[in-house]
Amino acid sequence: MIGDFLDSLSESVERLGDTIRFLVRILVQVPSAMLRPQLIFDQIYNAGALSLVIIMLSGLFVGMVLGLQGYDLLQRFGSEDALGTAAAIGLVRELGPVVTALLFAGRAGTALASEIGLMRATDQLSAMEMMAVDPVRRVVVPRFLGGVIAMPLLAAIFSMIGIYGAQLIGVQVMHVDAGSFWSQMQASVELRDVNEGIVKSVVFGIACSLIAVYQGYYSEPTAEGVGTATTRTVVTSAVMVLFLDYLITAFFLK
Amino acid sequence: MRDRGPAALGTDTTTVNSTSAIIDLRAVRYSVGGRVIFDDLDMQILPGQVTAVMGPSGTGKTTLLRLITGQAAADAGSIDVGGVAVTRASRSQLYALRQRMGMLFQNGALLTDISVFENVAFPLREHTRLPERLIRQLVLTKLQSVGLRGAAALMPAELSGGMARRVALARAIVMDPQILLYDEPFVGLDPISMGVILRLIRRFNDALGLTSIVVSHDVHEITAVADRVFLLSGGRVVAKGTPQEMRDSPSDVVKQFVGGLADGPVPFHYPASDYFEELLARDGGRYA
Repeated sequence: MIGDFLDSLSESVERLGDTIRFLVRILVQVPSAMLRPQLIFDQIYNAGALSLVIIMLSGLFVGMVLGLQGYDLLQRFGSEDALGTAAAIGLVRELGPVVTALLFAGRAGTALASEIGLMRATDQLSAMEMMAVDPVRRVVVPRFLGGVIAMPLLAAIFSMIGIYGAQLIGVQVMHVDAGSFWSQMQASVELRDVNEGIVKSVVFGIACSLIAVYQGYYSEPTAEGVGTATTRTVVTSAVMVLFLDYLITAFFLK
Repeated sequence: MRDRGPAALGTDTTTVNSTSAIIDLRAVRYSVGGRVIFDDLDMQILPGQVTAVMGPSGTGKTTLLRLITGQAAADAGSIDVGGVAVTRASRSQLYALRQRMGMLFQNGALLTDISVFENVAFPLREHTRLPERLIRQLVLTKLQSVGLRGAAALMPAELSGGMARRVALARAIVMDPQILLYDEPFVGLDPISMGVILRLIRRFNDALGLTSIVVSHDVHEITAVADRVFLLSGGRVVAKGTPQEMRDSPSDVVKQFVGGLADGPVPFHYPASDYFEELLARDGGRYA
């Protein structure tokens, strides 16, 4: 039992090391991939624009729930005017980046992993190597960069729609005063809060994109292998996002 | 056999072997996961010829191509391709070498997210800075030569197996390589497509002055176009010669392979314990 645990622990550490080495290999190729911006734009479209609907819809609902729960909590202390502040800080600092990253891993991460995995399984990556084209530079780096760029943008959109959702419930339904909702938010949300959200979404974007391209690139070249890679992408990304979220939060509250 | 001088080769630092072989494998040993695939493999491939490499499934024919292209590293021995020592070459040297080689993968391995035209144009766009008009001309010429100019706008998913392989062939020759490798080019093709590919192999070899290596186990098809045949079995070359010599060979292995006999030196049965003992065993055996 303990032996199994230690085995899986050492395997995880090994995989983490492999992933970091893969990241270094990607970073080395970034400058030369920048010379082909169209490839990166295509991937920003794939990872970002195609995730927009799910991100906006989820943002709206999360914001509406915040409006309800926040109102219920705050009115117990007679401070429902602070709803705007509570919703904005909750979304910008925490829910925006985290929920976006989890959705991003499910929508864009799985697509990346299975696409690259299938390219491996159907010899497309080997064919590129045979044509003296480095698949890391041509396939992996643009997809990685596309994800890293798209993720903070998606998180910002999520937070924005979320705040609108909170306003929709708080102000329109629960009749919190619109003036105090917005003015309190403006007065007490600081740049530090926004920065925390930006740092988180960038870090999550790097983590989720890296995990997806790594799992796809090193998947077993079989149907089962591609399936495993996709599952692992979601599971590893989710755990990693929550773990990193704790670290960054602790760092910012220090 | 065709009489043809050695094809002009790029001048690399490593000296070309005294035999005029363009691909020279000597005492190559390769194993994966403890299983020995090649042991003491020697093979010399002459320039300008179509060379067939045959052998039963699982003898490592595809692995042989991977060794030649440097996608797999041999445990021991030397592999020399066009004057480059593949076994000691750096990554950039290998990439430079591969620009002089083309390879046709078993199922074509076309990039599925771009059109037929873009697939053939892919190596040109990656390696050259040619103007669009010239790329267009080159791609259309190569597609015409495999008879698929009309399919230029299609996506790979819309092609039949034979068509996909012809497109892949056009892509393999678009950089004007000196060596063309074919990995099982006939698998899963109907007789018409097979005939088309066969003729293309011969035609490209002669018209473009290539050296072709065809890995296959379709005995009759490949011996029809090959100048020379190597038969692999048990990790080494068990027979070599012209197709006629192979047909006349007294060797049991060659007879079994060329004649398509189920049992012989290459056994029908995978190694197993005693048949009756296993059937009568009480514990039922463990097969999971």
